[in-house]
Amino acid sequence: MEYINLNNLFPLRSSNFAKDEVFDVAVIGAGVVGTAIFKEFCEQGAKTVLVEKANDILDGASKGNSAILHTGFDAPPDTLEHECIQRGYEEYMKIKDDYNLPFLNTKALVVAWNDEQLGKLNAILKKGLGNGVKELDLLTHEQIIKREPNLSLDAKGAILVHGESLIDPWSAPLAYVKKGINCGGKTAFSHEVQDGSFNGKYWELKTSQKSINAKVVINAAGLYGDIVDKIKGTQDFKIIPRKGQFVIFDETAYNLINSIILPVPTKRTKGVVITKTAFGNILVGPTAEDQESRTDSQTVKETLEDLKNKAFHMLPSLKNHKVTATFAGLRPASDETFYRVSINNDKNWITAGGIRSTGLTSSLGLAKHIFELHDTRYEKNPKADEKVTVPNISEFAPRDNQKEGYGKIVCHCECVTEREIKNACHGELGAGNVGGLKRRTRAMMGRCQGFNCEAAVTQICKNEVENHE
Amino acid sequence: MNNIQIAIIGAGPAGLSAALELKKLGYDDLVVFEREDEAGGTPRHCGHLGFGMFEFKRVLSGPNYAKKLAKLAIDSGINIKLKSTLTKIENGVLTFSTPDGVKQYTPTCTLLTLGARETPRPDRLVSGTRSPDIITTGTLQRFAYLQKIKPFDRAVIVGSEIVSFSAIMSAKHAGIKIEAIIEEKDEIDTFCIIKYLVKYLLKIPVLTNTKLKNINGKDKKVTSVTVSSNEGEKEIPCDGVIFTGQFIPESSIMQKSFDDFNLSNNSLYISQNFQAKNDSFFVAGNALRGALAAFKCYFEGKKVAKSIHDFIRFKHEPELIKIEVDENISWYYPSMIDLKSPTKQHLTALRLKKREKGAIKVLLNGRMVYKKNIHAFPFMSTNIPWKDIELKPKDVIKLEFVRD
Ligand SMILES: Cc1cc2nc3c(=O)[nH]c(=O)nc-3n(C[C@H](O)[C@H](O)[C@H](O)COP(=O)(O)OP(=O)(O)OC[C@H]3O[C@@H](n4cnc5c(N)ncnc54)[C@H](O)[C@@H]3O)c2cc1C
Ligand SMILES: Cc1cc2nc3c(=O)[nH]c(=O)nc-3n(C[C@H](O)[C@H](O)[C@H](O)COP(=O)(O)OP(=O)(O)OC[C@H]3O[C@@H](n4cnc5c(N)ncnc54)[C@H](O)[C@@H]3O)c2cc1C
Repeated sequence: MEYINLNNLFPLRSSNFAKDEVFDVAVIGAGVVGTAIFKEFCEQGAKTVLVEKANDILDGASKGNSAILHTGFDAPPDTLEHECIQRGYEEYMKIKDDYNLPFLNTKALVVAWNDEQLGKLNAILKKGLGNGVKELDLLTHEQIIKREPNLSLDAKGAILVHGESLIDPWSAPLAYVKKGINCGGKTAFSHEVQDGSFNGKYWELKTSQKSINAKVVINAAGLYGDIVDKIKGTQDFKIIPRKGQFVIFDETAYNLINSIILPVPTKRTKGVVITKTAFGNILVGPTAEDQESRTDSQTVKETLEDLKNKAFHMLPSLKNHKVTATFAGLRPASDETFYRVSINNDKNWITAGGIRSTGLTSSLGLAKHIFELHDTRYEKNPKADEKVTVPNISEFAPRDNQKEGYGKIVCHCECVTEREIKNACHGELGAGNVGGLKRRTRAMMGRCQGFNCEAAVTQICKNEVENHE
Repeated sequence: MNNIQIAIIGAGPAGLSAALELKKLGYDDLVVFEREDEAGGTPRHCGHLGFGMFEFKRVLSGPNYAKKLAKLAIDSGINIKLKSTLTKIENGVLTFSTPDGVKQYTPTCTLLTLGARETPRPDRLVSGTRSPDIITTGTLQRFAYLQKIKPFDRAVIVGSEIVSFSAIMSAKHAGIKIEAIIEEKDEIDTFCIIKYLVKYLLKIPVLTNTKLKNINGKDKKVTSVTVSSNEGEKEIPCDGVIFTGQFIPESSIMQKSFDDFNLSNNSLYISQNFQAKNDSFFVAGNALRGALAAFKCYFEGKKVAKSIHDFIRFKHEPELIKIEVDENISWYYPSMIDLKSPTKQHLTALRLKKREKGAIKVLLNGRMVYKKNIHAFPFMSTNIPWKDIELKPKDVIKLEFVRD
């Protein structure tokens, strides 16, 4: 019998530009931050290359998050983070329809579960208003229960944050890269930047494949941001990865809540959230655990149990539902709480590091900020206003299985079609690994975790990859 | 919108045998919907022998059994719509995704024979890495028998229900070496003869009283598992993990669509006629309460066909009372009694989660009316006789297990 493993199916990518090509800009890292920067610079007319060590986008911090589009009501006031969250949110609203990206304005409730927390609500409200978030209401116990009838009666009071919303954390960055490529941007996957030298005019970046030349380097290496930053000669910060574990419940639980349920934040973290996801589930998490490892995203039984119990306390009927998935994401936190964004004009080097826990929201705003820092004029790319769309995989809009001619449904739990899986295997932006395939289609991510479809998905991918080599 | 008399969802042994029986009873306005591109259900990928002895008086492999059933159905003119996935049940309207677009039907009567699946890793909250090489028996069977793929070289099997024996055979077929079977309980979860077979004939270590502590690995690949027992912790190198058993009905759509979902059975409350509170819906086969042998589902299909026949002929309004159970009971059927139906032999049949000695008590409106001493195994059912319990509308029946 033939040995075929999903992990080894996808061929390693090379790049499609000449070795002596000198780019205006090289962006290191294809997380949500790097992809947004890539898009911005390509649109602005800079000749840009996106360099990524993994064989696909979203291999680091950006693959596992809560997928909330934040208003910034609780952001540290007057910081770059605060500014970029609000700019990023605005920008997402401007482009989402053009790209076919989903958005659901569920609103959020910051719920006080005891008198101490209740006492903090006014301060949170004040901070929110100060942060320019105007649509905030204080809710009484009765008003909470009216809005969220399944929530525990222990809820004492809450702030309703009207703007907080949900998006698809995987399709958005995919759309950003696609747009960049459409404007002529180049990508170099499976190119790990290992070292570099600056000759006063441009950088020569040594990678695990060929060298890449660029006048300016933007470091968006997320969990490796401090290591990559050493290449410029000085290291200004240290990354301290912060793990966040999650428990995802079956779609049967989806209607138990209407809003995102946020806790009253403590100093370290925003705490455990209960929210719907764009994929029709309920998500509980994340934890906040500092660790040394930049790769260890293992889950721990006791922690998951604890998360479940906390959630059951807030939302008792969640007990009646099954767990569909468990996973962990790693935040690229640094030794300070603020974003580590800086420019070194002598070295033509820009750092976009330490984007810990709000990067999904802030990335589009951060990209604009960085372009302004860069302060160089290019001729605007003629395709900058052209529309580029990505397939919808969220539950907020019709999916492929509602449109005829899809072949058959392969993943039954998540209703993923044969057509979707095949399409995800192809093109410059096709899946580069199993994770990439899942994030483009949702295949194997449902309650049966591949009981029904993993074998078939493997076969389809094998055929697609072979037929297009 | 299409009006049909009977819709059967799921073309496994239960759905197909019900369709055959209904056809015999003269029902032509009947459609079987199946989400796969082939009828036959789960046996399609159970490549080993062990099917058909009671139904066809022959020993068949799963795939041959599935083919035979499908052929019988097609030959008798039953309309089977393949690649049709039921996605929604709302106000009597069934919505399907099909390659020809979204289709809706309003049947007079619907039979849900959706089957069951094993509980995969997440709901068991196991620590460790994530990998596509952490699978269930069902996945392994589909790799080995449907796609002819060997996904990894050596694996550890978690759990020792009878289905883990299927996992061993499927692994053997694919050329995968089984390093060990691990079981948390102090004995295996099926007839102990199987244990000796596995241990001495197949020479696979069966580690009881052993917990899976962690799945080790990196970059989405498994490298070993750490297990713990009273002898301490040890690491078993492997590149695959197979979770077996803990079947639960494929019932998310029921839980989403109906308000009377039974959490013990993970299915709807169902009367002795296989009928739900919403009386145009029937449930049978593994969709009722987890995995039984295929032949049982086949015969249940015939029984539910009779109930549907009766329901259509003498449409009576059921008078239902629910049976509730405590947390020791893994499943029970029926979970409701229809007082207007002829009394059945048994009140209900049940299984316990663990091997236990003790007594089952039947409480009627809080008062004990019957007690039965049992020595129960998790893989064997206990029948609770009806006896002379007099039941009236609005009665409350509860079953409790009390340990010795
Ligand atoms: C648990 C959790 C919950 C979160 N919830 C939210 C939320 O609800 N809303 C929100 O807005 N944000 C949220 N975030 C934050 C958001 O996910 C992060 O801020 C964001 O993902 C950071 O992205 P990044 O691009 O900076 O880093 P990364 O995603 O880590 O990207 C860096 C990329 O660089 C690559 N790379 C590294 N080194 C090299 C090298 N030497 N050469 C080439 N490539 C290299 C990596 O492979 C990686 O792909 C959450 C984060 C976590 C972990
Ligand atoms: C790994 C394994 C090994 C087994 N080994 C044996 C054995 O050796 N001997 C034995 O007797 N039994 C065995 N069984 C059990 C046997 O396969 C089942 O008891 C039997 O198949 C159950 O029949 P069923 O009709 O209830 O469900 P299934 O056979 O599971 O059929 C259910 C059907 O419903 C379809 N369906 C589900 N949801 C939808 C939807 N929304 N829309 C449309 N269609 C849908 C499914 O695709 C499936 O075809 C085994 C089971 C497993 C999983």
